[in-house]
Amino acid sequence: MTRHHLVFALAAILITLTAVTAVVQGQSGDYKIGVLEPLTGPLAGEGKRHLEGFEIVRDMINERGGVMGKKLAFVVADAPDPTAAATEATRLATREGVKIITGTFSSRLCGAASEAAARQNVIYWETSCVDPRFNKRGLKNVYRTEIDATGFGWYNVEFIAKHLAPRFGKKPGELKVAFLSEDSSYGQGVTESARQRAKAEFGMQEVAAEYYNFQTINDFTPIIVKFKQLAPDVVHHIGYTNDAPLFWRQAREQNFLFKAHVHAGATGYGSADFGKALGNDANGAFALLEPGPGFRIESLKPEGQKIEKEFRDAVQKRTGTYPFGGHQLAGGGLWLLKVVLDRAKTDDPDKFREAVMSLDLPVGSTINGWGVKFSETGQNANERVQHYMLQWQNGELVTVWPEEFTTKRAKWIPLGAWDQRK
Amino acid sequence: MDPARRLGPAQIDVVAQLAVSTVLLGGIYALIAVGLTLIFGIMRVVNFAHGEFLMLGMYLAFFAFTLEGLDPYVVLLISIPIFYGVGWLVYVLIMRGVIHASHNVQIFTTVGLSTALQNVALVLWTGDFRVIRPWHSSVVLRVAGTAFNLSQVVAWAVAVALTIALFAFMKWTHTGRVMRATAQDRDAATLMGIDTDRVYRLTFAIGIACVGAAGVLVSPLYAVYPQAGLQFVTLAYVVVVLGGLGDMAGAMAGSLIVAAVEVAGSYVFGAAWKEVFYFLLFIGVLVFRPAGLFGQRGAETLGA
Repeated sequence: MTRHHLVFALAAILITLTAVTAVVQGQSGDYKIGVLEPLTGPLAGEGKRHLEGFEIVRDMINERGGVMGKKLAFVVADAPDPTAAATEATRLATREGVKIITGTFSSRLCGAASEAAARQNVIYWETSCVDPRFNKRGLKNVYRTEIDATGFGWYNVEFIAKHLAPRFGKKPGELKVAFLSEDSSYGQGVTESARQRAKAEFGMQEVAAEYYNFQTINDFTPIIVKFKQLAPDVVHHIGYTNDAPLFWRQAREQNFLFKAHVHAGATGYGSADFGKALGNDANGAFALLEPGPGFRIESLKPEGQKIEKEFRDAVQKRTGTYPFGGHQLAGGGLWLLKVVLDRAKTDDPDKFREAVMSLDLPVGSTINGWGVKFSETGQNANERVQHYMLQWQNGELVTVWPEEFTTKRAKWIPLGAWDQRK
Repeated sequence: MDPARRLGPAQIDVVAQLAVSTVLLGGIYALIAVGLTLIFGIMRVVNFAHGEFLMLGMYLAFFAFTLEGLDPYVVLLISIPIFYGVGWLVYVLIMRGVIHASHNVQIFTTVGLSTALQNVALVLWTGDFRVIRPWHSSVVLRVAGTAFNLSQVVAWAVAVALTIALFAFMKWTHTGRVMRATAQDRDAATLMGIDTDRVYRLTFAIGIACVGAAGVLVSPLYAVYPQAGLQFVTLAYVVVVLGGLGDMAGAMAGSLIVAAVEVAGSYVFGAAWKEVFYFLLFIGVLVFRPAGLFGQRGAETLGA
């Protein structure tokens, strides 16, 4: 019996302690939100960059008075895989007592994390993942500031049809496109929506649609040999960080010539690592992203110019570079959360939702030149979240399209021989 | 139209290129698999941390190149003694304690070591993908309609040399004979006066030296990041089982078979299928020839 008593006593002490800690947290001058990113495991590189983006904008927010009269603080949790994402989201809500969770960047994680958050009735604020299924599950407190993969596919085909085709002197319907993609929901989402729009709206000729697993691909030669025979005008390749440089290097080795190569997203061709891996051999590859060098800040609304400039300076100060995609998505997303909280003045899910739905800002109003208009499903609108086509030009990823937003122009159209792209 | 069904000179070039790719990719797999098959064959330990030593070799090459400007081929010479030492240490500190334990304990130990090494790498060097570009990695050789990369050819040549050297070592040296005897029957070997602990230590050290060298050699070809080893190591297990445990020549042949399945499968059916094919092959071998395609019958249970 005494043993049982001891156990009960211990349990009682533990529970009391936990309750006390919770109260102490609630009384402090900090307002805590959960930040869930992959900080270990294969996605950690990009996850850490997102965390850095969050921290930069958190400091910007605190310099401007914080949120709801309190200093914004993070409870950071690591989500290397979907299972961890779900358990950590639950822990953040139940143990840490946060009412808002933001993260997780990867399409492999955001579904599981948001599902778990929704079950605890906390607000889930996604800044980067692009899985199209994310907002189609009827979860009322789940929001996404970035467009989804179908939006990426939409923009890529827009670029191919309206910008590339005329510069090749062809009609969009005459273009032959080879689709290649890694097989996660990110790659599939972008590729399938691009395939559909390319065919249905522009009648482009699809010569191949090939998927692979980015974690196990060691050799692209067989695919490149096959593609060479199909002679596509455009290669639409959605890749991750290790497979994109491999494809590009082996395409060069095999002297695979195409007129243009288009990617979407901050991984693969859109990552700084691609340029590091290939130097000037990277020249010519396109990636749909947030704005990069060449971006005309004057093309934004006055309030957008101000915040974009301050954001860039803050990133420059912390990292010494122009913001990377991870910084821009996390930072831009967190800033929008602040805008919503300023309006809602509470984290009550229903009032928060009202505030989200009432936001209506045109393109050019905030960081990255974005605007805001959320749909009932909690998704920010494609046409408000302005995206830009960037191109690798001599070691730098520069903004080239839409042309009204940039001082730089797309080069090497059509792409010539591999050693002529200088 | 299915490109695989066209005939003509272009098609001959395609087949030639696919054959060249198979041989070169097979070389890389063999390079990684020889160390594994050695440890697997002699010690009967499935080293799940094998891929992490490959990753460490890649990081060594990366830092030597970026910080000191050393070419990976220079680093190769240094890497062999370094990784021999690493293998020796890991054996003494970790493996010796579990060498007589059940397979479950050994698996947990090496999986734990694998996770620990990945996370140490992550803490020390972040999750960034790092790439080096020594001059030979962008040299493209073109022969009769086929193209290949100089770094890949060198990796292949070293793989072949290493396999032959290990094969000869095992077959014709006294130490090799002692190692094979230990693999065949640990207790009998002990009774014959063989210090099995020393044999295992040597085996593990050589195996790790091989995979460390492999890491250095593949560094110009693939990005290094904390999980880089995983990309190759599942393949290496398939190779080792195909070739027969502890069989160097078998590992070489197994590597070529896996590479051929991967290359031909990717070309004809698409890259999404490649793992289906070689794991079917893997299961098939386990069912019908558990000793491996080239292994001696019953070898899989020796020393168990």
